[in-house]
Amino acid sequence: MKEHQKICGKIFSSAGRRPVEALISSAEFSLTRFADNVISQNVSKISTDVSIRILEGRRMAKVSTNQTDAAGLKRTVEKALWMLKFQKEDRHLLGLPKPLPVPPAGEKLYFENTAGFSPEDRAKKINETVKKTKGAGQTAYGTLDNGWSRTTVANSAGVFASHLETSATFSLTTRRGDGFGWAEELQNDVGKIDFEGVAAAAVEKAGKAVRPREIKPGKYTVILEPAAVAEMLMFMNIYGFGGRFYLEGQSFMSGKMGQKVLNEKITIEDDSLAGPCAGMPFDFEGMPRKKVVLVADGIARGVVHDRKTGLKMKTPSTGHSLPQPNTYGPIPVNVVFKKGNTEFKRMLENTREGILVTQFHYVNILKPVTLEMTGMTRNGTYFIHNGEIAYPVKNLRFTESIVGAFNRVEEAGDRLCISPSWFGKMAVPALKIQDFNFSSATQF
Amino acid sequence: MFNFCKKAIEIADKRGVDFGDIRIIETRRRVLSVKNGEIGDMDDSVTLGFGVRILHKGAWGFASSDKINAEEIKKTTLKAIQIARASSMLKERNVKLAPEPAYRDFWQTPRLIDPFEIPMERSLELLFRIDSVLRKKPAIKSAVSSMKFVREHQWHMTTEGSEIEQDILSSGAGFFVKAVETGEVQDRSYPSTHGGQTLSMGYELMENLKLLDNAERVREEALALLKAKDCPQDQVDLIIGGNQLALQIHESVGHATELDRVLGYEESFAGSSFATTEKLGKFRYGSPIVNLVADATLPGGLATAGYDDDAVKAQRWHIVRDGVLSGYMTNREFAHAIGMNRSWGSNRAEGYDNIPITRICNLSLMPGKWELSDLIKDTKKGIIMENNRLWSIDQKRLNFQFGCEIGWLVENGRKTKIVKNPTYQGITPQFWNSCDAICNENHWQLWGVANCGKGQPMQTAMMCHANSPARFKKVKVGVKVNY
Repeated sequence: MKEHQKICGKIFSSAGRRPVEALISSAEFSLTRFADNVISQNVSKISTDVSIRILEGRRMAKVSTNQTDAAGLKRTVEKALWMLKFQKEDRHLLGLPKPLPVPPAGEKLYFENTAGFSPEDRAKKINETVKKTKGAGQTAYGTLDNGWSRTTVANSAGVFASHLETSATFSLTTRRGDGFGWAEELQNDVGKIDFEGVAAAAVEKAGKAVRPREIKPGKYTVILEPAAVAEMLMFMNIYGFGGRFYLEGQSFMSGKMGQKVLNEKITIEDDSLAGPCAGMPFDFEGMPRKKVVLVADGIARGVVHDRKTGLKMKTPSTGHSLPQPNTYGPIPVNVVFKKGNTEFKRMLENTREGILVTQFHYVNILKPVTLEMTGMTRNGTYFIHNGEIAYPVKNLRFTESIVGAFNRVEEAGDRLCISPSWFGKMAVPALKIQDFNFSSATQF
Repeated sequence: MFNFCKKAIEIADKRGVDFGDIRIIETRRRVLSVKNGEIGDMDDSVTLGFGVRILHKGAWGFASSDKINAEEIKKTTLKAIQIARASSMLKERNVKLAPEPAYRDFWQTPRLIDPFEIPMERSLELLFRIDSVLRKKPAIKSAVSSMKFVREHQWHMTTEGSEIEQDILSSGAGFFVKAVETGEVQDRSYPSTHGGQTLSMGYELMENLKLLDNAERVREEALALLKAKDCPQDQVDLIIGGNQLALQIHESVGHATELDRVLGYEESFAGSSFATTEKLGKFRYGSPIVNLVADATLPGGLATAGYDDDAVKAQRWHIVRDGVLSGYMTNREFAHAIGMNRSWGSNRAEGYDNIPITRICNLSLMPGKWELSDLIKDTKKGIIMENNRLWSIDQKRLNFQFGCEIGWLVENGRKTKIVKNPTYQGITPQFWNSCDAICNENHWQLWGVANCGKGQPMQTAMMCHANSPARFKKVKVGVKVNY
């Protein structure tokens, strides 16, 4: 934090009395990648990036650098001042915000053991995993990463907010012949990752995925495991729950606040302050993040705002600004899809005929308002018959409206899993959905 | 900068590594956009740093830092060696690099006008003028016009004696609108989607693109799409060109022939490929008129440079020759897997803080013999699709679905009605084997892909896919969801 304070001091003194904002991101990130049972890539990076906005009336200049010594920062500020002279006026430009109290992070998010997890530590864990997968007659692929990051937002009007956290992710794909399995765990504390559990889950999936059979594309009841639900929810977060998309009429909730938009079993909230997705308690304008109920029991209840969209809707910022300026507007980044009460095993037993999907691949969006999307199943797709996994099936392409699918939810799982998301993370349960549309099949 | 590079090479040599290199990179980037009458993005950034790659005890290590001084270079080089040593704890064989001569050279992107010498105000002025034309109709709820310029200055030194300095420049610009009416959103963009057209050249690109001249037409087409009928569900002849055919080449040939993917090294993330090595020289990838050429020397190409990040000199080679799989995108590590004693040179990294990985080079569909007007006249029942809106392909690069911004029906040799939400699906080899006509060199043009994501940590790379419009027979179009 002291380093970031020093950087801010140098920026503010170079900018003189002009309104100035600094966004500083420092991080150390290491990742070991393995494929075909060997370590294939192994990298580590350390960096500090500084982004500076200087305002003068309705004009603004933004510059960035990673050279944080006094000369580098002075040079960067001088460049911004020079640019200001030629800058066009922006009549919509907002001045810098005054400070508001920022609550402390709701959970402990920094762990020394995670920041210091070494290449040898990663190699050891991967080695143990590879021994297990080899023992099961399978081949291992994946990544183990760890690191820390500090983000500081400060401005000359008195805002100073700084956040430090660590993270680690272990992701494992295993293969047995033509059968694939996958499992992943994301934690702030590497010591909490259940390496054996991840390996066992992936190995079990790949074991059951060998010699997949062809099935006809069409509409099926599906059980989507949490990773598959997360792939879809990520798009809903961006296109459905952001204030700017809402105002432009591009959100499925545009003009429907207070109305039923999703199945009544669905409640979705953004909460960075507590719970499974707790994270940075302020946004990139330095405004405190607030808990926002997006959908409650299927009813549209809110979208997230930065100061700009808040002003347009005559409501305060909810603390969800991305770095300014930007064309996306505010986005929820700590999203919790509330769990249901059905045990996964029970969900399976309740299904007479359907398809179990582990994960989706290469999901993309065609129509933002209905969130019509397409993507492929991956790493374990199985046919369910009379409450049991009957056999693996070849991968299928879905073409489906996520708004439609989330209106046909039959059951929600009783356990949340954490998935990475844009600028944050999501907690999601498994879902059972009726009449999910698969539009074609592939050859494996 | 080479004096700093030497420090890393001396340490690497002293420690007896198998191979080592250092890349010092300074990147200048300028991004400008105007959205709905407001400045959307505006950033001028400079980053400077270095990455050290070490092959030691037959395994890789890589470390990077943004502080360029002798002490930091020593610390980072030793860290890369430590990481390589850790990697060697889990290996089955030693990594061996395909040989390449050592070079001492300077290369730079040809350019007429340095975009960083152009005042931002001038660029913003043009973007605001485009924006005002785009938003003249109330149904246009969102309009974004943008420009982006990136200059990367690299100093690359290897333990094998190469000292390569390169100055690589790209410029890009474009705009898009979203027309919204009663729950319907229709996009239209120019000259292409995903940030517009990007090429390896200077600010002269802005004049070539004629952005303002096309703003009104594009706006009106977006409005027309709101009233248009949906693309029919059918099997028809598909005519695509421009950035849609570029994306088709990119996803179903480019990624499918990255040798690291083919060998399984991307299995955990991006996936693998159906185009496995035993198929080389034998597999009928497309019809006999299909020739796809990788070319790191292509003027204007975003992957064009003097050397790749393996210090391999730029080359040109066939990926598909007369319809048959004939080559791969390679690096020095994997070239031996297809019996080659030299890499084709397609190993690139994003910035200083990423390790080079196998990348798609500029990959182009070579021109055929048709005039576009004759091709349309020759099509009884078809659809022309333009500008990519959606892309998705499976993890072996077989089953794909694409969506475009706009379609035009072709009925009895005439381009007729506009249709909205055009989509098509297919399986890669069947699709390329159904290609029965490719337009000639009069229509052949470069299309930039500036946002190709791959690797863990994720890296973005740029490349071009030149093409002229082509026809594909009996393609499944108009995939729908009934809800």
